[in-house]
Amino acid sequence: MFAWAAGMALVIVSALDVPAARAQSPAALQRGRFEVALGSLWIGQQALGSRDANETTSAGSSLKLFGASSDLAGAAGLEGRVGVRLRGSLEAEVEASYARPPLRIAISNDFESAAPATATETIQQFTIGAGVVWYLPYRVRRGTRVAPFMMAGGGYLRQLHEAAILLETGRFYQFGGGVKYLLVSRPTKPLKGVGARLDVRALVRSKGIAFDAGHYTSPAIGVSLFVRF
Amino acid sequence: MKRSLAMVLVASMVFGSAQPALAYLKFGVTVGGAQMTLKWAQTPVRYFVTDQGVTGVSATDLQAAAGRAFAAWQAVPTASIAYQFAGFTAATPDRDDGLSTLGFRSRPELDRVLAATSFVVDAATGALVEADIFFNSAFPWSVAPAGEANRYDLESIALHEIGHLSGLGHSALGETELREGGGRRVLGAEAVMFPIAFAAGSIAGRTLRADDIAGISDLYPDGDFNQALGSISGRVTKDGQPIFGAHVVAFDVARGSMVGTFSLNAQGDFSVGGLSPGPHALRVEPIDDADVESFFEAARTVDVDFRVAFVDRVVIVPRGGDSGEVTVKVVRK
Repeated sequence: MFAWAAGMALVIVSALDVPAARAQSPAALQRGRFEVALGSLWIGQQALGSRDANETTSAGSSLKLFGASSDLAGAAGLEGRVGVRLRGSLEAEVEASYARPPLRIAISNDFESAAPATATETIQQFTIGAGVVWYLPYRVRRGTRVAPFMMAGGGYLRQLHEAAILLETGRFYQFGGGVKYLLVSRPTKPLKGVGARLDVRALVRSKGIAFDAGHYTSPAIGVSLFVRF
Repeated sequence: MKRSLAMVLVASMVFGSAQPALAYLKFGVTVGGAQMTLKWAQTPVRYFVTDQGVTGVSATDLQAAAGRAFAAWQAVPTASIAYQFAGFTAATPDRDDGLSTLGFRSRPELDRVLAATSFVVDAATGALVEADIFFNSAFPWSVAPAGEANRYDLESIALHEIGHLSGLGHSALGETELREGGGRRVLGAEAVMFPIAFAAGSIAGRTLRADDIAGISDLYPDGDFNQALGSISGRVTKDGQPIFGAHVVAFDVARGSMVGTFSLNAQGDFSVGGLSPGPHALRVEPIDDADVESFFEAARTVDVDFRVAFVDRVVIVPRGGDSGEVTVKVVRK
C-alpha cells in the first residue's frame, strides 16, 4: 500500500521533471512560514465486504436467504488546511474535511427470487487530523513555480448516519504525494504567495462504519488553493 | 386469588401443517378489555417433570434435556427470566393444578404435533400462573448428544416449547417446502421459535438464534438491554393501503444476524426490537413457509398476496432508540 502511494507520488514528480540547468530546491520557492488552504477532496470507494443472511439447515449447514455486499461509495467533499514551516523542506499541517459518501448495501441472490436491490443512505463524514509535508529535494529549473512533496498524517474520524441517530468514530491515516504550484509569488510582501495544490493519497480508515475489525483503504485526491504568509 | 382460565393451547413444533394457535412474536391475552402481553409476573419459574419416561428416554433423561434447554434461555445475557427445577411429579402435563409440568403424553390423534404448551392465565392480571408442556409419545424421541437417526431431539423441541412457556409466539424465520403426502419439510430456519421442527435426527435446533434472543429479551429485559440496543419501526403498505401479517426481517449487515416480526395491526405497523446499533437491511415477505394459523388467530385476515421485497434505504438502528418510521411498499404478485 505504501509502495503504491510512493509510486503514485513519483509518477507525479517524474511528470514534472525538467532537465536541470541552474537548479534550486523547490522548498526555497515556498517562501513564508504559514499556509492556509481550502479546496475539494474526492475520496474513492471503500468496499466494506460481503455477508450472507443465512439460515440453518437440519444438518447444521447454512442456507443462504440472500447475500449483501456493502461499500462506501466515492464522494466529493471539502477540505481545509493550515500549515507551518518547521524547517526548510518540512511543514506541519492540521487539517479538517467534510464529505457525504453514500453507504450502499447491494442485495442479491434472494432465496425466494426477490429482485436485487440496493439500499442506500448518505453518511456525513468529518475528519480532523495532522500531518507533515516534506518537499522533495528535487532539482528543477530555475524560476519554476512547482514544488513536489510527499505527505503523511492521520487523525480522528466521525461518521454520522442519516437523521443523525447514530455516530460512529474511528481513525484515519493517509500518505501520498503531490505538487504545489505558485500562482502568485510576492516574497517581500506579508502575503507571500498564492498557489494551487494537487495531491494523491492512500486513505486508510479503521473503525467508523466498519463491518469487521479490519482497515479500509481507498484512494483520495485533493485539489486546493492556498495562501502563504 | 381468583384465577381462571384462559386456556391457550399452543400447538407447536409440528412436522406438518400446524394446528390453530394464538401466536404473535409475544402472546397476548385480553384482560378487562385490554390487550396485555402474556408473561410471568415472578421468576424463577418453577417447573416439575413427570416421572414417566418413554422408550429410549427415561424421566431423568427428560429432566436433563429440559434442564439444558431451560439453561439456554436463562443464559441470555439481556434477559432476566430464570427457571427452577422443583422436582419430579406423578402429575401429567394436562392438569390445571397450579404446577408447571413437563412430561410425555400419548396423543396419536395429533399426528403432526410433536409437543405443545398450554397456559393458565390469571384473568384479573393477565399474568401466567401455570404452563404445561407435553411431548407427544406417539413419536420416537432421543436425548443422544449427537442425535439419533429417525428420532426427534428432545432438547431441541424442549427449547422451542420453553420459549412458548416463557410467553414467546412463533417466528417466521424459516424456509420450507411441501412434502409429498402433506406437511412441510424445513429447508432452513434461523429461529428456535420457527413453528416446524427440523427433521428427525437433527440437533440443529439446540441453539438459540438472534431472533429468539431478541424475543425473550424484549419480554424480560435485563441490564442495559433497552439502552444498548435499538429498534426499527414502520408500516407495510400495498397499493397505498396498510396490510396485516407481513413478515418483516431486519438483517444486521455487520453481524449477519436476522430478527423478524410482523405488521400487527390494521395500520400495517411493525416494530422489531433487540437490534444491535448500526446499519440494517429490511426484507418483507408474505407468510408462505408455514400455515398462517401458526402465527395468527384463524379469524385474522392475513395478506399473503405480495412479492418479497427489500427496503431501498439503509435503516439505521440507534443505540437505545428507534429508527423512526420506515414505510415499506410492496406490490401484489
